[in-house]
Amino acid sequence: MAEVAPAISANPLLRLPGVAIVLALLVVAFAIAAPGFLSRTNISNVLVQSTLLLLLSLPMTLVIMTEGLDLSMGAVLTLTSIIVAIVSLDTGSMPLGLLAAIGVGTVFGLANGYLVAGLNIPPFVATLGTLGVAQGLALIASDGQSVVGVPRSVSEVYLAAPFGVPLPIIIGLFAYLAFHGLLYHTRFGTYIFALGGNREALTYAGLSPSRLLIAVYAVSGAMAGVAGLLMTARMNAGHPTAGLGLEFDAIAAVAVGGTSFERGNGWLLGTALGVLAVGVLRNGLNLLALPSSIQVASVGALVIIAMFFDGLRSRP
Amino acid sequence: MSAALPIDQGTSRDNSSPPLLELRGICKAFPGVKVLDDVSFAVWPGEVHMLLGENGAGKSSLMKVLCGAYGADAGEFFHHGEKVAITSSADAKRLGIAVIFQEFSLVPYLDISQNIFLGREPKGRIPGTIDRRKLYRDARQVLENIGFDIDPTVIVAKLGVAQQQMVEIAKAVSQNARILVMDEPTAALSDRETELLFGLIRRLKADGVAIVYISHRMAEVFALGDRISVLRDGRRVGEVDPARTTPDELVRMMVGRSVDMTYPRTFATAPGKKVLEVKGLSAATGISDIDLVVREGEIVGLCGLVGSGRTEVARAIFGADPASAGRIVFDGREKNGGPDEAARLGVALIPENRKSEGLALMRSVGDNLVLSALGKLFPSGLFEPRRARRVSDDLIAKLRIVTPSARQTVAFLSGGNQQKVVIGKWLAAGARLFIFDEPTRGIDVGAKAEIVALIDRLVAGGAAALMISSEQAEICHVCDRAYVMREGRIAGELARAELTEENIVRLGMHHG
Repeated sequence: MAEVAPAISANPLLRLPGVAIVLALLVVAFAIAAPGFLSRTNISNVLVQSTLLLLLSLPMTLVIMTEGLDLSMGAVLTLTSIIVAIVSLDTGSMPLGLLAAIGVGTVFGLANGYLVAGLNIPPFVATLGTLGVAQGLALIASDGQSVVGVPRSVSEVYLAAPFGVPLPIIIGLFAYLAFHGLLYHTRFGTYIFALGGNREALTYAGLSPSRLLIAVYAVSGAMAGVAGLLMTARMNAGHPTAGLGLEFDAIAAVAVGGTSFERGNGWLLGTALGVLAVGVLRNGLNLLALPSSIQVASVGALVIIAMFFDGLRSRP
Repeated sequence: MSAALPIDQGTSRDNSSPPLLELRGICKAFPGVKVLDDVSFAVWPGEVHMLLGENGAGKSSLMKVLCGAYGADAGEFFHHGEKVAITSSADAKRLGIAVIFQEFSLVPYLDISQNIFLGREPKGRIPGTIDRRKLYRDARQVLENIGFDIDPTVIVAKLGVAQQQMVEIAKAVSQNARILVMDEPTAALSDRETELLFGLIRRLKADGVAIVYISHRMAEVFALGDRISVLRDGRRVGEVDPARTTPDELVRMMVGRSVDMTYPRTFATAPGKKVLEVKGLSAATGISDIDLVVREGEIVGLCGLVGSGRTEVARAIFGADPASAGRIVFDGREKNGGPDEAARLGVALIPENRKSEGLALMRSVGDNLVLSALGKLFPSGLFEPRRARRVSDDLIAKLRIVTPSARQTVAFLSGGNQQKVVIGKWLAAGARLFIFDEPTRGIDVGAKAEIVALIDRLVAGGAAALMISSEQAEICHVCDRAYVMREGRIAGELARAELTEENIVRLGMHHG
């Protein structure tokens, strides 16, 4: 029953919290205010456009569950997007571009993990540092210009629609299922809950919290690489500011989705709904022809509203 | 003691087999303190070995040595009569030793089964995955074995303290722990939950598990114990059979710590004016119905075990925690507000953790001394360095603070001198009632006597002091009267003539 929505439940589906309500309200509001919002094309649009954010928000959920943060995601995505463009331009191969992007993303992830777990630097500071490095490298690699003329095989990733379903939607769905399996069905996923909830418990169990933490950040970096491919495919070019501020949307989606920043209390499906809420909000405001500055402000407001609900729910 | 029993029930197993675990001559020291001094100790399968002692007697240290968290400086371990080493938690685990700390080692947002098998999840078909069906089946089995009737898929964050403790025990049992160490397991439990726990302990005993049980409650010492060891000052003063001893005898064994205090005090003869009167004070922090009085010229002790609510009383009087019921009357006037009102009225709280709560460590001695008196010294709001300097120099001389100058950074002073700066700070603000929380903890013997002398001078000058201390000897030595707390309530008041360590311990512990 929807009315009995406990803050915590063994079955994550039963935790129907603010995010579902917020999403439903947004859909209803835009359905009324913005003609064409509910059209098949527009719905497909929202989903396609949300994929990129989903690819970042899923690993961001894991990072936040460890009581961490990855601010470098947007900048690493920018860098990997340019790498996809350059490598695929030089070799004519999309898979090689993807591989290079994932490689570079993983290196940044490992670096973040080492700074946080190995050197004990607060995640906020550590990933702010790597954000700067990644952004700088992106500017150097692209010479400050858009890298254009990427092969068609790259843009196909965004445009293809096997069986009439846009490929990005399939990628998003696959990514969600993969992360769901990882978090809820593997040992590694179980330990992610413990990284945020009680690191000592891991130590007592003979596991290394530092290594696990590094692995979480590495996953985060690798996913920024995958998202880099999608970004280049979407823009048909590598652009040196493509991912600017995307980490903000990802953190917002995770927060809206009901993952708390403490004690390893995360919820992956909530993140997916949070991504949709952000996507619907941006799409709806677009349809209403409101300026993008309002979009940024409204995503901020969405976070605050969700935090407010979170606060209400966690009160005894 | 009643007539000796023909058969010593508690220790009848001694001769038949070697102990499951034996410690011989364990020593452990930290810079300046010897926490364990030649402690020997043994447990046999199927028995509960009670560990008894005052605050700081060495119980927790012994426990940490047992589980490998502290390496012992000297001493030997024997497992089934064979010499072994315990230098890490892995060693302890291999020997089947599991410790249930008061701070739980559970992950809040995993369920009961995932917590029980954390790090030992049954492997699924795909590498890295978990066989969830086996996980829950095994967990159900473990829970059934210990008689804990609960759904193994419940998230731990939803459980109460008692249930979390049961999960901890289930976790230990599932690791085939043969020696279970419990640190005051009933401290947070209701009577019903305690009964459940005792039932479980008896079942574990029947299965041949050895249990080391730290307790402060006489009733459970006698209800559960097969053997009692008493620790004092880091030494084991004796092992007794519960069938042949009495609570009074145990109390006598626990007290009698060496007294470090040499400062002679002249005690108040005629009671002065009431400075503080507390009636029926309760607070959400766990204290209820506190009545106490502190008069001019008196040092009143507030004692009891760690966790009995002493600090909470101090904080509630000061206004740092809001009171939920009761009255606080200071100098005949009712006090309702928070710390700012307390400071204005002349109530000073000198917290236990003076480094984090009482001092701006990176600022100078002079700055710290005038900190609480800024409003009083400079009513215009403008800081006058020369005036501040005069006040702080005056206090440095009066309190005999050993510092090169008022400009010295407080962090570089010794513990005792830091304590004096905190006191001086409140003196400058014109405090009349000083509440000290463990004023002599962590400072050396000479400095302790000096602090006591200083408190004595304060009250001789018309102030009043309420002093929290875990060192009963110190309370007996210094205080005019003392209140003893137990589980958030005042268990009794002791006048000067009745002020003995035995009486304090007796009031502070659960009796009979």
